[in-house]
Order: sequence, then C-alpha cells, then structure tokens
Amino acid sequence: MKARILDRADALKIVDLLRQQGYEVIAPFRGRGRDTFFETVTDQNRDQVQLHLPNPYYPPKRYVFPHIERLLTVKRDNGDIRIQPSYEEPKRAIFGIRSCDVAGIYHLDRFYLGRDFKDIYYENHRKNLFLVNFVCSDPANDIGDECFCVCADTGPAARDHFDLQLMDLGDEFMAVAGTRAGEALFTNPIFKKATEAHVAKRHAILDQVRKAFKTTTSWFSATVRYVSQGEILDKTWEEIGNRCLECGGCTYVCPACTCFTVSDRQVGPNEIERVRMWDSCGLGGFTRMAGGFNPRRAVHDRRNRRFFRKLAHYFIQRELSMACVGCGRCAAVCHGDIGMPSVVEMIRRATAEVEKRESVSH
Amino acid sequence: MNPLATESVRPRETARREQAENIYLPRIAVLDRVVQEIQDVKTFYWHFDDPGEQRAFKRFLPGQFAEVSLFGVGEFPTSLPPSPTEEETFFTVRHVGSCTSALHQLRPGDKFAVRGPYGNGFPMEDYHGKNLVFVAGGIGLIPLRSAIVYALANRKQYERIQIFHGAKTPKELMYVPNLREWEQTPGVECHLTVDRSADSWSGNVGVVGSLFKKPGVQVPVENTVAFVCGPPIMFRFVIKDLLGMGFQERNIVSTLERYMKCGVGKCGHCCIGVAYVCVDGPVFTYEQIKKLGEDI
Ligand SMILES: Cc1cc2nc3c(=O)[nH]c(=O)nc-3n(C[C@H](O)[C@H](O)[C@H](O)COP(=O)(O)OP(=O)(O)OC[C@H]3O[C@@H](n4cnc5c(N)ncnc54)[C@H](O)[C@@H]3O)c2cc1C
Ligand code: SF4
Ligand code: FES
Repeated sequence: MKARILDRADALKIVDLLRQQGYEVIAPFRGRGRDTFFETVTDQNRDQVQLHLPNPYYPPKRYVFPHIERLLTVKRDNGDIRIQPSYEEPKRAIFGIRSCDVAGIYHLDRFYLGRDFKDIYYENHRKNLFLVNFVCSDPANDIGDECFCVCADTGPAARDHFDLQLMDLGDEFMAVAGTRAGEALFTNPIFKKATEAHVAKRHAILDQVRKAFKTTTSWFSATVRYVSQGEILDKTWEEIGNRCLECGGCTYVCPACTCFTVSDRQVGPNEIERVRMWDSCGLGGFTRMAGGFNPRRAVHDRRNRRFFRKLAHYFIQRELSMACVGCGRCAAVCHGDIGMPSVVEMIRRATAEVEKRESVSH
Repeated sequence: MNPLATESVRPRETARREQAENIYLPRIAVLDRVVQEIQDVKTFYWHFDDPGEQRAFKRFLPGQFAEVSLFGVGEFPTSLPPSPTEEETFFTVRHVGSCTSALHQLRPGDKFAVRGPYGNGFPMEDYHGKNLVFVAGGIGLIPLRSAIVYALANRKQYERIQIFHGAKTPKELMYVPNLREWEQTPGVECHLTVDRSADSWSGNVGVVGSLFKKPGVQVPVENTVAFVCGPPIMFRFVIKDLLGMGFQERNIVSTLERYMKCGVGKCGHCCIGVAYVCVDGPVFTYEQIKKLGEDI
C-alpha cells in the first residue's frame, strides 16, 4: 500500500477534493458534550468537521443500509398493477470513518452481497462509496471507555477495506491508499512523499495507542468456542435475558447488525410504497407468527439469539467476518449492562467455571 | 463447515438459481380460479402475466415456497403444493391474518404478485430407489402434495409409496379429489383417518399415528424416507412413533415454518440456531431440526 504525508492543516482539503469530484461527503461533527454525529458537509459547516472526537453512537451504517428505505412503488390503475423499483445510487464519501466502522461495512458487504442472493439496494448505496478511514490515535478523544476493537482485531488502524486512511502523526498526517481510487488522490500537491522516519513514527504511535485502551476487553476466542459447541448453560442465557429491557438499542447502534422488516404504506389514492426498515431481534414481535405462536417467547431466548448469531463459529465462517467489530456502542447504550463485552465475560466466567469443575471430577 | 451440511438435505442448484437482479421485486400474477378446500382454506390457481416468468418459475422443486404480495397489505411465504410435473401453478392458503385474508378476497382476473421459488426443497433425486412414506396432518398435506405428485409422476424411481393423512373431521381432509385418486392408484398405499367421525365416515378414526398399527398396514423402515408435516403436536407424536419403529433421525424430513419477511436470507426473521430457514430450509431432516434447538 502506498503512503504519503500531508500537513495537518491540509486534511480538510481532502474533503474539498472529494466534493469537487461530485461526492456528497459525510463527516463527523460535535454537538454538545458527548454528542457527536455524522452529517453531510456543506460550505457552511465545512470548518466544523472534526476528526478527534468520540465515535458517534448512530453508526455510519445508514449510508449503505438506510434506517428506512423504499424498495418499490406500486401503482394501481383500473385493475392493472405497475411495480416500479426505486433505485438510489448516491456518490458518497465518508470522511473520518473509524476502523471499527470500516470493518462493520465490510461485514455488511459480506452479508448483503455474498452467498446466493445479492441485495441490489445495498449494492447501489455501496458501489460509489468512498471511505476515508481515520485511525484512532488520541486516547482522550477517540477511544471511549467501551472501545474494544483491539480484541475484535479491527483497529485501532484498519488494515484494509478503506479507500484512504489518515493517521495523525502530530504536525503531519500520514495518508495510506487502500484502493486505486484512493491512490488517485495522491496526484494532488498536498500529498508529499513519506519517509522511513514517518513510518517508524506511525508504528511508535500505534504501539502507544494499543496500550491506551481502557478497561473494556472481550475475550472472543474462548466464548466463540463455548457458543459454537453449545456449552452455555440455560442459566447463563437467563441471567443475560433478565437484564434485557427490550429497548432494541443495541441493534440500533450496531454497525454490523443486518436485520430488517418490510412494510407497505399508502402514499396516494392508488399508490403504495413498500419500505424496509431496521428491525431488532431483541423485540418481542420479531419471530411471532400468525396465530400467536412464538418460537422465541422468553426474552432470554432473544438475547441468546443476538449473541449466538454474532458469536457462533458457523456464522463467522459463513460471512468470513464476525458480526461484532468491537465498537463498544452496545456496551455504552445498554441500560442493563449486557453489551457484547459484558456478555462475553459472563459466558466465559460461567462456562469456564463449569469446565473447571468437570475436569476436576473426571 | 455448516454443521447441518453433513446430512442429506442440501440446498439444490435450482434454489440457487441466480435471481434476476432485484431479489425483492415480485412479478405480476393473475388469479385464474379459486377452489374451497376446507373451511378457511382455499386453493388459488394463478399464472404469471409474463409467460417467460411462468416458464422460469416452473423449475421449482417440491418443498420450495414463494412469497406472495398483496400490495398495501404485505407479503407472505407460502408453500408450492403443485408438482413441477403438473401444468398449473397454485397455492393453498389458510385465512389467518391480514395478507392471507387479502388473498382470500381476490376474484378470478384480479392481479397480485409473486416472487420465488425459494428454499432448498426436498432432494427428490437423492431418494431414488427408496421407499417414500408421507405423513400429513391437516394442512401439512400442502407442502407434501408436491412431493407426492412428483413421486407418482416419476413412479419408477421409487420403491413403495405410502400416504398417511389425518384430519380433525372428514370435512377437513385436504385435496379430496387427489386423495380419491391416490386411493385408486396401483402401487400407492393411501390411508386416511379422522379424529372425530361423522355418520357418513366409514374409515379409520384416531390420530394419524394410529394408522401405522392398523391391520394390513406395514410401514417399511429400511431404505425409507419419511416425510412428516403437520401441526406441532401431531409432529411430536408421529416422530415418536417413527423413532419407535426404528427410523433413523436423518431419514425423517419435514419443513419448518418460521416468520419470514424476505425469503432470501437477508432480513433475519427466520434465523434459528445456525440456519436461516428461508435459504437453508425450509426442508430439514429431523436430525437437523433437533440441532436447531428451538420449538417446532
Ligand atoms: C415456508 C413456509 C410455507 C408456508 N406455507 C403455507 C401454505 O402453504 N399455506 C398456508 O396457509 N400458510 C403457509 N405458511 C404460513 C403463512 O405464511 C402464514 O399463515 C402467513 O404469513 C400469515 O400472514 P398474514 O398476513 O395473513 O398474517 P398476519 O398475522 O397478519 O401476519 C403478518 C406478517 O407475519 C408474517 N407471518 C405470520 N405468520 C407467519 C408464519 N406462520 N410463517 C411465516 N410468516 C408469518 C407474514 O410475513 C406477514 O406479513 C407458510 C409459511 C412458511 C414460512
Ligand atoms: S455487537 Fe456491540 S460492540 Fe459489537 S459491533 Fe455491534 S454495537 Fe459494536
Ligand atoms: S425470511 Fe428473511 S432471512 Fe429468512
């Protein structure tokens, strides 16, 4: 991969360059306090774009998989039906997307575009998407108490799946091209040659950053094994379920959750549209069938489902990517403290305890 | 490795048939005629507006399903009771909720929309040279009808064929003209039963499993595949009976019904255990169903 150096003050010129090329550029902004959000860059807000800030809770996933999206419009005319699919093919760039969220989008790619069926709506949003990854290097601003990308092996510096990667080296930024499209930007004079010293500095900073992660850890490997081999006691799932308030927040903020529901709505006298919207396996109606039979009645069954789906080895292999990227959002928003890291810990402790007892008694 | 893939039910080539571009785009269908099967259950004969669509769709396999669109109401999954060897395409649907009641209100000539076929289907070719035992409770005969008609159309490929169908009352027996035909077909053993009899009923009274013990009935266990579809309670009892006779779990197949939205493995609604029922199923062996670990 090719690397270049640019002046710190020139970083936002990349936003300008992309806008000149016709991209709608999305970037992170700061509201009040912890509140941060992704928003379209305009001439007015361009100078308020920030790179060092807590990662927004509302993930950039919505730029490839909108919260609510129209699939079809259907018009009725004298007994005739005309079905018109709605295709949106935006030319978008996300500037300052974190490494965990880059992995999140990669996971969505594997899920929606892989296997037997390809999701054309997702593909349309994805095909012109340009990702400018920003490496988390400022522990005070970039790394939250709940971040654990190091355990998910997705950060702090993404290894691939971005077009361009920026990293703060102090007075200068290092830019790494991940694709041809990213490399094409290097013809602009703001990019200068990188030296060995720059590369050494990058490594030194990353070494420091890795040590600066807070208390949250997630020992996936043992848990993936326990989950995949069905070694988890019902009691453990129940304990997890008892703490779930069924708000659906974890799925809402998750950059790697994929579920949706579909609904028709009337938009005119003879016109309806079919939309899909995010859905949550944590909510009661998710699996309910006609007649009221619900195979996942108890709340712990639903918790079980979310974590099983994310942690079972079979699914990780099926997508060649895990449905948790270590962003820590669910841990931050969960009222019952059953975000991914806590659940991994609860499973690991309870199951390790059982294993220990069994090996003693053998 | 899919922990479920080691057994006999594999997704088939046709199920993976590259769907034209947009997997969520249904195609216009026209309703031809409606036949009342039993109370609340009707059979809807239909065809695609576009003959090309009709030809492509006709490559479905027994056990697959389709998504039916009633615009403004929604979309719902429904089995394909016809065999691909038959001329007509139709659904048999029970009126239970909003979509199904919208379908029930359609009249011949009305338009709706369909997409599919989806799911793995019964691997009928893998069963060549075997005995086939079909056990259907109530509307469980809907998904099995396709496999039965297919097997009869390819009669030489299979050994013995037995059909067991039970309903609550004689009035609730499904596909009566077909049942009569199968009863008359040489080389097919068709046994019917009802839970409660009416005066006019001269046949067996009792649950489906009671047919297995009827004098003159001998269910082959070796080299046999048993297809079991029906309400959960019937399913549990029949499984117990079959296992008691010595059937292996992997030689019992069924179809799972789960809440489905997309039918193509994306919406997540049908996901149980390690399976997305809509793409990995709906046909599973009993061995697989046990591993999926949820209620039937
Ligand atoms: C693979 C498969 C094959 C099926 N085959 C048949 C068949 O041949 N004949 C038949 O009468 N019924 C069949 N069903 C059940 C049928 O899909 C439901 O009865 C139907 O979806 C109910 O929809 P509704 O809008 O009338 O009910 P509502 O209760 O109003 O349902 C609302 C939504 O729930 C979903 N839903 C509700 N119940 C079910 C269910 N049991 N399974 C899946 N989704 C559900 C639908 O997507 C629907 O949009 C099948 C289901 C599956 C999964
Ligand atoms: S499960 Fe939690 S930590 Fe993992 S990607 Fe989703 S929101 Fe982030
Ligand atoms: S029905 Fe949508 S994933 Fe199976």
